[in-house]
Order: sequence, then structure tokens, then C-alpha cells
Amino acid sequence: MTTNRRQFIGGAGAIAAASSFPMPAIAQAKAKVVVIGGGPGGATVAKYVAKDGGVDVTLVEPARRFTTCFHSNLYLGGFRSFGSITHSYDKIAKAYGITHARQLAAAIDRDKKTVRLAGGRVLPYDRLVVAPGIDIKFDSVPGYSEEASKRMPHAWQAGPQTRLLRRQLLALKDGATIVMVAPPNPYRCPPGPYERVSMMAHVLKARGHKKSKIIVLDPKPNFSKQGLFVEGWQKHYPGMVEWQDPKMHGGIKGVDAKTMTVKTDLAEYKANLVNVIPAQMAGKIARDAGLANQSGFCAIRPESMKSTVDANIYVLGDASIAGDMPKSGFSANSQAKVVAMMVRGEVAGGRTFPARYSNTCWSLIETDDTVKVGGAYEAKDGKIAATSTFISKTGEDAALRKKTQEENMAWYAGITADIWT
Amino acid sequence: MIFAAAAVAAASVAAPGSAQVTGDRALGQYLSSECVTCHQLTGKQQPGIPAIDGKPAASLVEQLNAYRTKQRPNEVMQNIAARLSSDDIAALAVYFSSLKPRN
Repeated sequence: MTTNRRQFIGGAGAIAAASSFPMPAIAQAKAKVVVIGGGPGGATVAKYVAKDGGVDVTLVEPARRFTTCFHSNLYLGGFRSFGSITHSYDKIAKAYGITHARQLAAAIDRDKKTVRLAGGRVLPYDRLVVAPGIDIKFDSVPGYSEEASKRMPHAWQAGPQTRLLRRQLLALKDGATIVMVAPPNPYRCPPGPYERVSMMAHVLKARGHKKSKIIVLDPKPNFSKQGLFVEGWQKHYPGMVEWQDPKMHGGIKGVDAKTMTVKTDLAEYKANLVNVIPAQMAGKIARDAGLANQSGFCAIRPESMKSTVDANIYVLGDASIAGDMPKSGFSANSQAKVVAMMVRGEVAGGRTFPARYSNTCWSLIETDDTVKVGGAYEAKDGKIAATSTFISKTGEDAALRKKTQEENMAWYAGITADIWT
Repeated sequence: MIFAAAAVAAASVAAPGSAQVTGDRALGQYLSSECVTCHQLTGKQQPGIPAIDGKPAASLVEQLNAYRTKQRPNEVMQNIAARLSSDDIAALAVYFSSLKPRN
């Protein structure tokens, strides 16, 4: 079949007409945006796309309430209640007219532009936003499994695992050994494991432990805010925390949940509490839809967070490869605002501006001793690149650290209000 | 069409006892999405992070300029203000000063 010029132009015109959405004046059906995942990324997109009206937004999220990973370490340390880190979708569903489909997304059909829910219902979309967060790679630590996580919690997805870890921590007697198997890069919340070590040490110290130890077996040669954490551990918990890099342990060989042992190349630890934080990958729905590359995470266009493999799909948050941005709730919330603007630009004629991203991560080391790290980011040279960064300094005075903790608590109140109200 | 009309119009706000601040409110609204991650739109003061909604535009411009030039401490704010142009700052000031505190 040959294509003459006239047909070609006609064809192009037809495609253009089909891909431009009806404006309100034409009074056709509203554009449909489906968001998979109700974490800080997905819930923020749903709210920001819906709040200016004119778009039909469905949030696919099985849970009625969401427990944030951020500040779950503060729950572990006894600084927050579990209720205070748990948020309902009811307010945003009602205030912005978001349909909350309380089911797991079972499959994405990219050709038909539909999402099938676990119950069988099929949702058509004009634009799809995929924000499933992480899945745990259980087999990245030999001997570890979902079953083993009932005795050796990972607690890297907030919920029952977080409560289990706290119960185990509170049950320890003086002289206990805690072993943390830290995760390899890239993973959710880079300073998180080390804030968690701080919070566990805080609980042990507050409960009068003199001989208990926390051994951190790390597959990485260094970690986020290392100087600040090490300084804090020496100051507040002298002799309690022992961090080992790969040169010191020779490699993590495996765990045995039945005997509560952790083996490295150079030693075997019998522990009273083992916290295994394995390697991670994008949530299953994103991988099944072919949105992830060999790294297990999803490549995106830095100027929009649009998937590099499908122009109708955006991926954001921990599941995405966001260049210099860390995987954090703050990052996901920041990316969500870019996504919402771009989606509204495509389906509702909204104005768009060049993407700007930002992040700050606060970490509590001990009561009123908080440090922070952060950055500003933009699309540059094909990735999301840091344009400026900052980090707290060692040796800062107590007043500044206390102020930083007040900022941390106020940030939590702010971001959760931004996402869930 | 409503979007386009509102978007193109630049808004201006008269700040008491100072020059008028003129800025692109739609740009301000987009840029503000970064601010409201931390600053709650309640108009209420709370420890740690101050309220900025409903504040006079000229005062917001002054504060943001002080962060941009690092004359006012706080690394989070210095970092955010570092990439704001004068037009961005005016847009933000016009947007936030136009909000009525919710309480």
C-alpha cells in the first residue's frame, strides 16, 4: 500500500485530533486520570490533578488508611504514636471528588489504556500515573523470605512490620544483641537505616540497658549523613553501636530465622533481634507493565516524570529512577506536583512551567538532636540533577539541633496535610 | 478557556506602606506547591515552620530575598530561594498574599 501526501496529512491530522482533549466548552466526557498507589507520590498527584476540577480522577489503593514510612522510626523510638503516622483518604476523596477504588491494581493494558483491578473491574484511562513504591527483594539476602520477615522484620514498608519491630525492641533485656542488615543502594530513604539504629539505641538507653549492642552489617562502604550519625552515636550511645563496612565483615553470607543467626564471611552472630533491610525494586505492577528496566526501577523523562517507554504513563516516587533525588516521601511529593501540572497540561489545558524538584530529609539521633540533608533539582543533561545541596554540620550547638527537630515535626504536619487533606 | 484567561492575567497586590508588588499569580500558584510541603495553609503560627499565607506581599518579597542572598539563616529556605528569580519571588508573594488564612 502506498501513502500519498494527502493521506499522510489526513492521518497526522486525525492522530492530532484524537490526542487533543475536548475543552470544557465542547462538553464532552471529562478526561480520565487513574493513579495507582496512595503513598506520598500517588495521593499527592490525585489531589493536585483533581483540585482544580475538570478531570475525572480515580485513586487505586487497597488501603483505607496509609501509614507513612517517614517518621515510622520516630514511632519505633517512642516519639510518636502509630495513630499519628496513619492517615485516611476520606478527606481528599470528599474535598476534591476523587474516586477511591479500594482494590489492588492487577494489570495494566498499555495498548488498550486500561487498568484491571483485582476484583475484575476495568478502568479506562487517558493518562495513567504509576506510584506503587517499592517491593522488597527478599532473596537478596540468602535465607531471608517473607516468612522469615515474621521473625526478622524488615519494617521497610510501614504497617504491621513496624509494630512487630517495636514489640521486639521493647521485649529486649539488658545484654541483648541487635543485628541490622543494611540495604545496598538504591533504596528507600537513604538515612533511614541509620536513624533507625539511633532510635533503637535511644530505646535501649532509656530503658537502662548497659550491655546491649547494635551491630550494623552494611553492604556499602559508606552511608548517608555518616559523619553526623557516627558523631551522634559516640555522643549519646557510647560503645553501643558497631557499624561494619564490607571490609570489616567480609560479606553478608545469610540469615537463619529459626536460629536467629546472621553469618558474615568473618563471623556468626546469634542475635535477640534481627532487622533485615533487603535490596528493593519498583512495585510489581510497574514491573509487570514493562515500565522498569534491568535495574528493577522505572526510567522517566526528567522534565516531566513521564515514563520513557509509554507517553500515556507517568511514574514517580520510589519506583522511579529520579537521578540525583533520593527515594523519599518528600521527593515523591515534590515529583507529584510536577506530574500533576504536566497531566493537567495534557488533558485539561492547564499552564505548564519548567519542572523544579526539591527534597529535605530530617533524621532524629536522640531527643532534640536532629540533622538534615537536602537539595534542589532540575532536569539537566537527560536526568534530574541537583542544582544545590546542603547538609547539617558536625559539632552544631544543641539549640540549632533542637530547632531542626521542631522543623522536622512541623514538616511532618505540613506534608501530611498537603497530601491527605 | 477560564484557565487561559486566569493564567495570563498578572496580578498585583498593594502592600500597606510600600510599593505595589506585581507578579504572575499562576506561576506563583505552581511554585507555591513546593512551599506547601512544609508551610500549612492555615494562617496559624506553629513551632518550627511559620505560616506564610495571607502575609503582605512586600514582606514576603523581603524575606525571600534575605534567604536568597543568605542574609537570613536556614539552609532549607536558602536552598529553595537560591533558584528563585525576582519574577518568581514576585509571583509567589502575589499568590500567598492573596490567600485568606483558613481559620
